Amino acid sequence: MTTTFLPCGVYHENYIQDHAWWQTKFIKGKMLLLFFLLFILIPLLADTYILSICNQIGYTILGAIGVQLLIGYCGQLTLGHAAFVAVGAYTSTLLILEFPWPAILLNLGLAYPISIFIAGLMAGLWSVLFGLPSARVKGFYLILTSMAAQFIIVDFIITQYVSQIGGRGQAFSLPPGTIKLGPWLIDSDLKVYYLMILLCIICIVGVANIMRSRVGRAWVAIRDNDISAEVMGINVIKYKLLAFFYAGFIGGIAGSFWISNLAAISPEHFPWSWSLWLVGVILIGGVGSIHGTIFGALFMVLVMESLQLMVLPLADIYPKLLMDFLFIKEAAFGLAICMFLIFEPNGLAYRWWQTKNYFNLWPFSY
Amino acid sequence: MAAADKIRDGEILLEMKDVHMLFGKVIALAGVNLEIRKGEIHSVIGPNGAGKTVMMNIINGLYRPQQGEIFYKEKKINFLKPYERSKLGLARTFQKVEVFGGMTVLDNIRLGRHIHYKSGIFSGSWYFGKTAREENKHRAFIEEEIIDLLEIEQIRNKPVGMLPYGLQKRVELGRALALEPELLILDEPLAGLNLEEVEDMARFILDINEEKRWQVTCLLVEHDMGVVMDLSHRVFVLNFGNMIIDGTPKEVQNNPEVIKAYLGEDDLYSTRK
Ligand SMILES: Nc1ncnc2c1ncn2[C@@H]1O[C@H](COP(=O)(O)OP(=O)(O)O)[C@@H](O)[C@H]1O
Ligand SMILES: [Mg+2]
Repeated sequence: MTTTFLPCGVYHENYIQDHAWWQTKFIKGKMLLLFFLLFILIPLLADTYILSICNQIGYTILGAIGVQLLIGYCGQLTLGHAAFVAVGAYTSTLLILEFPWPAILLNLGLAYPISIFIAGLMAGLWSVLFGLPSARVKGFYLILTSMAAQFIIVDFIITQYVSQIGGRGQAFSLPPGTIKLGPWLIDSDLKVYYLMILLCIICIVGVANIMRSRVGRAWVAIRDNDISAEVMGINVIKYKLLAFFYAGFIGGIAGSFWISNLAAISPEHFPWSWSLWLVGVILIGGVGSIHGTIFGALFMVLVMESLQLMVLPLADIYPKLLMDFLFIKEAAFGLAICMFLIFEPNGLAYRWWQTKNYFNLWPFSY
Repeated sequence: MAAADKIRDGEILLEMKDVHMLFGKVIALAGVNLEIRKGEIHSVIGPNGAGKTVMMNIINGLYRPQQGEIFYKEKKINFLKPYERSKLGLARTFQKVEVFGGMTVLDNIRLGRHIHYKSGIFSGSWYFGKTAREENKHRAFIEEEIIDLLEIEQIRNKPVGMLPYGLQKRVELGRALALEPELLILDEPLAGLNLEEVEDMARFILDINEEKRWQVTCLLVEHDMGVVMDLSHRVFVLNFGNMIIDGTPKEVQNNPEVIKAYLGEDDLYSTRK
């Protein structure tokens, strides 16, 4: 899936061009269109409902990138990523609510951006801590240790101790006006949307870049053949932990972003099923592909939303449906993953790649 | 063989002293001594299960011997991890190809140069400037020195897992060369190749060893006696953990014990069918 076929008549004259993301004018044009859509068209036309769905997609993307990095690129199975998202969310919240920020920083609106960064660091470090067993165990056993992250961090530390800070009880409420990014108060779906786009672009660009440089290659090498990787000069344990850090960092950013969309946060926002969900996203989108992460998030959120829209009218006739929707949703999720594993094991990204090459090579697509 | 004599007087690159390796009750190596001098092609031959691969794994650090010492340029390396040994200039290929199947040919070779790249997680995420320059510089090296040498221009962007076996072996050699090793371990580089591929591979090994640009010392494990006797400066014969002889190809061919071990193959040159 790493190969792209260039249209007839396009040649590269130097290695920089050959290593660039957008290799033809046509692709550059398409990217311009995409930016136009994201920054102008959607904000202009979308109502709050659509925007809130977009934000959910963005949150899913941010969460799933870390899972993609660990599972898809580095081959380290994880089923506890929601814990690090939670660490990010709580770090950011606590910093905003409890930290005695100097007045200048508050006035400049830097408290939240700084807290995003620190949330990333914190989540990254916790992720490294729970990644330590990867030095010894692989596969199935690693899944179990990563699940421990969920139970220890969310169910124990956050629920039992962190939630008690300040004596607020179960949930931390985030009063309006607390989340400020520079001069902008993040108080509407549209502003959350812009923040989401910004963070998604930063994280996606960061990951795409690192994957075409030394560290990313080392991760993929460990995934494909860890013994060869070690023999070729890679300190396998160090690079695995770097992957855990990077994935946790982005998970922390995801959590820290999500509080801008919430009025209050509580441990229930980060259930274990969310970790599972994120793994489902990359399975459906395509393992080992950044496009796959995006497609998977789009698919999951959109399908679940349409399912909900379909169920709502029926609920007038069968009121029980509404109560059972959670189960319907989870059953649909399970079904979707099974269907993809059977019929399209390379995920949506592979379909995309095929379609793209079909058009690139047209009319000589052999 | 005047050149060979000169090499024989040269600096010792790698030395194994009385190395023992046991797996439970299986004695894989029973006190092996080996000296590899700079610039030579030193072959190790022996029947299947003789312990050749174990010997290679010990040299590059995948196995720790229970007894004995390994020196690289007079430095004891017993306790160095494989990735630390690679930084000293040790690279290898494997008996059963161990490539990175999901990566392209180019990325496999780039990965071989891992120790020569510098960028970390921050500069890598940013990419522009330092990392871009570095990628470009190494790309030029890879294209000019390795892809040209191994004649793999056509497949540079193909995922290695999709390539036929012979080409995978070639890519694996390219990856090892990209490290710019001083000592290159080749574990049965010709096994499973067809005649044409064997000729190509033998030529590459000779090029790597002789060309001014490379002058890599090679430790070659091989069953193809014709190639071994033609290429090697010295041949080490291993028989179930014990050395029979370590000498020039001529000495080995005339050694009665070796002839006995390869009984029925009166001419060592005819082992390849
Ligand atoms: N990891 C291991 N565990 C147990 N026994 C091993 C291991 N590696 C090799 N051996 C044993 O060591 C002996 C030598 O094997 P090897 O070096 O692979 O032979 P060859 O000379 O054909 O390369 C064999 O008897 C093999 O079974
Ligand atoms: Mg062997």
